[in-house]
Amino acid sequence: MSLIDQLAEDLARLPGIGPKTALRLVYHLMKGTPGDARRLAHSIRDLADRVHPCGRCGNFTEHDLCTVCADPRRDPAVICVVEEPYEVGAIERTGRYSGLYHVLGGRLSPLDGVGPEELNMTTLLEHVRGANGIVKEVIVATNPSVEGEATAVYLEGALRPLGPRVTRLARGIPVGSDLEFVDGSTLGEALLGRREM
Amino acid sequence: MHLTELRIRDFRNLGSQDLEIPPEGLALIGDNAQGKSNFLEAVYYLETFRSFRGASDERLVALREEMFRVVGRVATTDQDVRTVAVAYERRGKRKKVTVNGSELGRLGDALGSLAAVLFSPGDVALVSGGPAERRRFLDVVLSLNVPGYLKALQHFRHVLSQRNTALKDESPPDLVRVWDEGLVRWGTFVLLERRAWAEECCGAFRALYEAVAGDTQSASLRYAPGVPLEGRVSEQDVAAAYRQAIESSWERDVRSRSTIVGPHRDDLEVTLEGSGSGGPLDARGFGSGGQWRTAALALRLVEARTIRDRRGRSPLVLVDDVFAELDEGRSERALELLEREETGQVILTAPKASDVRFRGDVLPRWHIAAGRITA
Repeated sequence: MSLIDQLAEDLARLPGIGPKTALRLVYHLMKGTPGDARRLAHSIRDLADRVHPCGRCGNFTEHDLCTVCADPRRDPAVICVVEEPYEVGAIERTGRYSGLYHVLGGRLSPLDGVGPEELNMTTLLEHVRGANGIVKEVIVATNPSVEGEATAVYLEGALRPLGPRVTRLARGIPVGSDLEFVDGSTLGEALLGRREM
Repeated sequence: MHLTELRIRDFRNLGSQDLEIPPEGLALIGDNAQGKSNFLEAVYYLETFRSFRGASDERLVALREEMFRVVGRVATTDQDVRTVAVAYERRGKRKKVTVNGSELGRLGDALGSLAAVLFSPGDVALVSGGPAERRRFLDVVLSLNVPGYLKALQHFRHVLSQRNTALKDESPPDLVRVWDEGLVRWGTFVLLERRAWAEECCGAFRALYEAVAGDTQSASLRYAPGVPLEGRVSEQDVAAAYRQAIESSWERDVRSRSTIVGPHRDDLEVTLEGSGSGGPLDARGFGSGGQWRTAALALRLVEARTIRDRRGRSPLVLVDDVFAELDEGRSERALELLEREETGQVILTAPKASDVRFRGDVLPRWHIAAGRITA
């Protein structure tokens, strides 16, 4: 197999990239300067060599602790649990959260052979237990999918005896949308989750 | 609601045909194995995007062809005309559905475009077959006519398969029970809608059965849930009963390594009454062939009413040689009923032109031979 085909095949394994796009990317790299291609190669190698899960929360980092865990200004009393590392970024961008994170690396799914052992759960439970009451609240921010909900139920059962409040992200009407166009089950959730004005 | 044009490409033996469908409908005449049912299958494919005969999409593609395509122009009113197109590619196993040329995110959004109801000889299994047949009937009718039903059903089935896998793997109880709330949440919706439909339609079912049977016989319809729902009316009450039922069947779930109570095990009971037989009898166990066919026909007529009531459209009626198997009296009365029930367009098939007794001579006769249709 030629080097071109080899790289195209490797690229095509990435999510969202089909064989045609992969080939286009390879030819694009060939058109640029050798320096550009090398820089990309280096970045990928550095990523593989130096980025690893944070020792505390499981988010990706090049250091022992990720930037959030290492930041003394973050509030250690609140932990927000998400499924995937990229969801940390989504919550960070809201600018409304100053606590810590915990990344599970997936969600419970017996059909895919994923149980608690396959997820980064033990470190969370140990952290909460070892913090001697410092952790006051755990926000379970798993997705509102069938698996995300089951994972939330499981976490609640495991965390509640350890003392902290266990909360779930609210579900409801997207900001800026029109009531008329919100689907029935979302509107139902929003009604159940209504709050005092 | 009517179909104005139909374009077919390589669907079973139908080859390539562009047809203009008369507003009143048509009677398709042809010998056996010429493609009459294939034609209705193609039309009804636009309603549910799958074969009403349970055939896989792959088998619908004509021999030695790569893909099939069915395109229908559907008029709700004179102003509202939509083009629904579906194509299936054998190699990529890919199905593409477009409405007015734009592809939809979810197949579910285009379901029920025709508002069609199909009467087929296979319907007898609705009554003679097991509960799964009747659940499928309910699920199709409700998915097409109740907003949110399909989504709830899909979520329910997904949670159920997760929970059953956990049970099969002999996971610890807490890892099985995390799925319970999902079952209750989506299953309650399914339970409530099914029960409401059965209650709403029971009277109509009885009247239609009696009208077709034409004598002292009667029949009734009842949703029979495994979760005891007597006296449980509100959503909260039903959810509580369901939660309780899951709780009580835990030991049995573990033993059988599957979830044994819930809408996935329920039945839609058809019961026969009268005709000197004493008390009501389960139609499946005690009915005759004629009674089964009559009850199945009444179920389809009720489905047509559901389309009319819930979607406010007169349904497109497709009849696949179905009345041939009823005795003459019953088939006369069934046809009279269909004419009275404000049906819109009608497409029916028959082996001989003399078998067509619907709407006098109004219905244009078309012919089919070796898949080729001539007006």
